[in-house]
Amino acid sequence: MHFRIDNASDRPVYQQIMDQIKRDIALGRLIKNEKLPTVRQLAGQLAINPNTIAKAYRQLEQEGIIVTKAGAGAFVANLDSNLSRSVRKKLISEELERIAVEAFHMQIDGHMLLEWFNNAVVKFNLPSKKG
Amino acid sequence: MDENVIKVENLVKYFDGRCVLDGINLNVPRGCIYGLLGRNGSGKTTIIRILLGLEPPTRGQTFLLDTASTELSPKLHGRIGYVAEGHNLIQNYRVGRLIKLCKDLSLQWNDEFFDHLIETFRLPTDRRVKELSIGMRAQLNLALAMAIDPELLILDDPTLGLDTVARRRFLELAIELIQQQGRTILFCSHILGDVERIADKIGILAAGKLVVDCPLEELKERVKKLRIIFPESAPANLHLTEIINQQIQGREMVITVANWNKQKQTVLDTFKPSSCTEIPMSLEDIFIECTKPNPEYIES
Amino acid sequence: MFALIKREIQDHIAYFIGAAVFSVVFIIISFSLISRYDHRKPPVFSIGFGVPAATIVIFGICAMGATQMYLDRTRKISALLSTLAVSRNQILLAKIITGILAILILFVPLTIAAGILLRLFTPPVPMFTGMVLEISVVVFLMAFACYCIGLQTGWNSSPVTPSLGALFLTCILIPLILIKGFGVHIAVILVLFIVASLIRTWHTFMKTSL
Repeated sequence: MHFRIDNASDRPVYQQIMDQIKRDIALGRLIKNEKLPTVRQLAGQLAINPNTIAKAYRQLEQEGIIVTKAGAGAFVANLDSNLSRSVRKKLISEELERIAVEAFHMQIDGHMLLEWFNNAVVKFNLPSKKG
Repeated sequence: MDENVIKVENLVKYFDGRCVLDGINLNVPRGCIYGLLGRNGSGKTTIIRILLGLEPPTRGQTFLLDTASTELSPKLHGRIGYVAEGHNLIQNYRVGRLIKLCKDLSLQWNDEFFDHLIETFRLPTDRRVKELSIGMRAQLNLALAMAIDPELLILDDPTLGLDTVARRRFLELAIELIQQQGRTILFCSHILGDVERIADKIGILAAGKLVVDCPLEELKERVKKLRIIFPESAPANLHLTEIINQQIQGREMVITVANWNKQKQTVLDTFKPSSCTEIPMSLEDIFIECTKPNPEYIES
Repeated sequence: MFALIKREIQDHIAYFIGAAVFSVVFIIISFSLISRYDHRKPPVFSIGFGVPAATIVIFGICAMGATQMYLDRTRKISALLSTLAVSRNQILLAKIITGILAILILFVPLTIAAGILLRLFTPPVPMFTGMVLEISVVVFLMAFACYCIGLQTGWNSSPVTPSLGALFLTCILIPLILIKGFGVHIAVILVLFIVASLIRTWHTFMKTSL
């Protein structure tokens, strides 16, 4: 696992770690029931305060994204597809809103934007299925 | 045993009639990494020197490991590792001789760990301290401070002169130390990125006062910078408390405020602003805002 | 404590070597001077030899004390040491013990040599042994007093102040001995002076910012 701490960000470090873990799960880099590094390991590896990492793990556990088992460590939760979808939807929606704002300022037509977006979907072979 | 390893109570210090510290209150609990920030000349080094008994306070008291700073015994000094600003080591001694002296005067010494550090840093033991570069002196100083297996590590700008790789290595060492039971670190730094990575609590000194003293993760949530546009010219006074900074230009007002909450939002709404957007603030932005003249206080 | 004393000795080894060399040279010169005289008469040291020798000794010892404190301050040695597992008391005590050792290295051989000389060249009378002891004690106290002056004035950022202070006070002590002679009363005055001086030095060292 690799994390990048953005010092110019307005988000606290523990939230940045949470965001990145969520992103990794959403993008399939971390899979269901996969073991996460221990707080100690991650703290040492990244030179980040262990309490910060512990807080990130606690918050993620509260949100049901990960589970901790005494003596065994932290694992990606056995997420059902709904929970995973909500995380993915949130991440992508934020990006789409950002693009919409940019388009507004560039006075780009809505239809044009949708056409370009469809082209991107086709280009990257995104599967089309309901749900 | 007190939960707080470092205690500063109403500390006041005058130098030649100039007030450097004006009533500082500070507590560092066991197991905490406390990052003390402040501009050059803000008094960070003075606080540390008073804590270690190197400098007497004008008024107030400071305590390290439950003992007054003016009464620190050799045994207590032996439990504290210290890296001074500017890396004060005996300049004309050879490195090997300095190491032997520090080792002979220590209560405990981790030979293996120290040798590993010397090797990692590639420090020459036959050269004189004054012949080393600033970076190497910094590394030597750190190695000497950590070799005694300290319960409390006090670091005054420890990464001054270190290259990026060495700085990262220092952070890793600090994390390694803090993961051992009951260790505490107090450090001053100008490199906010480093502070943000490893600190639990943060303090910002400005104009002789501790204007910020709270857990780091809370700081960004509690300090907000808002850009408020009013339909006509912005009012001179919003009647809000804890405003750190305020700038008005025509219809626009930019305020930095601590502990933004619903009540403050309600007060702002009475002025019927056209829009209110939050400007994201990094730790650096918060630091700059808090060290401008006449800051308000942000305490936990 | 031993490490502190060892450090002081190593840093000021020049004074120890100087003391040993001076002692040996003084003994050799004394023996050669005395061997020229009729050994039934008591030994008389020529003024031309004794006074400069005494001056060198006084200034040398004073300089040692001053150097110890001055170098400590300028090189920030105590600033570093006081953050290690030692107290300021121990640091100062180590300095003083080092000074005493240097003085002993200088005077013990001289005292032994004087005892031998007196036995060789005069009939052995108990009174003489007592005199040697009395004179040795006063001379040691005198030397230690000069050392204390050096210590007291050395903790200054300028090397001029300790030199002038030392010169001034030494000029008072020497006439005192010449007028009063060697005796218990002069020993008492010297002890009082030493105690006062050390207390002042101790107080300065304890309260100073490092």
